[in-house]
Amino acid sequence: MKYLSEYRDGRIARGLADSIKQVATRRWVLMEVCGGQTHTIVKQGIDELLAGAVEMIHGPGCPVCVTPLEQIDRGLAIASRPEVIFTSFGDMLRVPGSEMDLFQVRSRGGDVRVVYSPLDALELARRNPDKEVVFFAVGFETTAPANAMAVWRARELGIENFSVLVSHVTVPPAMVALLESPDNRVQGFLAAGHVCTVMGWTEYEPLARKYEVPIVVTGFEPVDILEGILMAVKQLEEGRHEVENQYVRSVKRDGNRPAQEVVSKVFDVVDRQWRGLGNIPSSGLGLREEFAAYDAEQKFGVHTITAEESEECHAGEVLRGILKPNQCPAFGTKCIPENPLGAPMVSSEGACAAYYNYGRFRTPSESGA
Amino acid sequence: MCLGIPGRIVEIRDDGGFPMGVVDFGGVKREVCLAYLAGEVEVGDYAIVHVGFAISKVDEEEARRTFEVLKEMSQLDELEWMREVAEKSLNPQPPEAS
Ligand code: SF4
Repeated sequence: MKYLSEYRDGRIARGLADSIKQVATRRWVLMEVCGGQTHTIVKQGIDELLAGAVEMIHGPGCPVCVTPLEQIDRGLAIASRPEVIFTSFGDMLRVPGSEMDLFQVRSRGGDVRVVYSPLDALELARRNPDKEVVFFAVGFETTAPANAMAVWRARELGIENFSVLVSHVTVPPAMVALLESPDNRVQGFLAAGHVCTVMGWTEYEPLARKYEVPIVVTGFEPVDILEGILMAVKQLEEGRHEVENQYVRSVKRDGNRPAQEVVSKVFDVVDRQWRGLGNIPSSGLGLREEFAAYDAEQKFGVHTITAEESEECHAGEVLRGILKPNQCPAFGTKCIPENPLGAPMVSSEGACAAYYNYGRFRTPSESGA
Repeated sequence: MCLGIPGRIVEIRDDGGFPMGVVDFGGVKREVCLAYLAGEVEVGDYAIVHVGFAISKVDEEEARRTFEVLKEMSQLDELEWMREVAEKSLNPQPPEAS
């Protein structure tokens, strides 16, 4: 495999790949739910290497990608206001809204800034008391403790010109939605290592039992992913369906308790709209009533903004594994990273961008993989 | 964007009851909140840091390996943000920036 051989643990990786092929008596369908893992799999050609033994479906593991259009439009409306300094992680700037993106708001004079940490946004609010500083709080469970702490600190420090536009999502409900959809093909999951670093894996145990799917907590390096796949395939072959932890170097069963505590003090579980997947019950986090003063949606009255997703973008089917990114008619033609039609083409962790950046222009059958 | 970056804790302090510190990421130093590892880490320890928060303690060997792999994967976006964006973010960013 051309990419894998470049990787310095190439020998171990090839050994693991051989074991997977030996153990598999049929082709199994697995899903990774972490954009970092998607990136590694496509870049290193792990899916092509395992063709015949394992099919990898790239799940909704990119928080930028699953942020719904209407939430992007709400962000754009807030960012366009003259009194606002709008802050976000860098990935969000090029996500297309219905009419424009954050870059365009900036070129029209909006004060849009990329921050590294939500605490930077809070500091910005402290230094600019005459401005309203808004932070676009997206992410999975990994990022929620950081964003929760920024709100907690804002209250502690009495900073009132700070608010957050929350679009937090959580992984297990999305897995349930995928498993319950009538066209589900997923037989086992690689759970995201850094999500579980925060959350642990106890919440995956009832899922593995109920839906009879193996779930393996996995890191994002090539060797991690191959080992995670091997563990899942062994379970499937032996008829087991348990939660196992491949990523022992970082993940403990109970996760990071202090982080979970702050998240549950600041956020409540809410229903959330996912780009491409629709509304999923109890799949997100929203600010608790007592933190309503920090809710940008209410502060700027943008909660009424709604939006219809483009019919040309097949993100939903891509995220459910019904289409590979390069089977979308717009892929690589109307939709490219410089001019994305949908969110999975925007972030480097999105499946469409990963396929584009690593030259996957043909469908698997055409490439003979 | 869920990937954390490992670094070495070089300073720990108490910001009015709020545990903060400085972490060295292969030469790039940055303020990090240590509230989620309070009492668990000392100066010299390694931790995985995600968007300015230390979320888990790792050993030196793991930290080194992960850092190298992230570099090979060109997945050090967070580090790029840190380097290029962190200082700039407190000042207005012109349209052509980033
Ligand atoms: S290639 Fe573009 S249009 Fe097609 S599903 Fe991906 S993001 Fe949407």
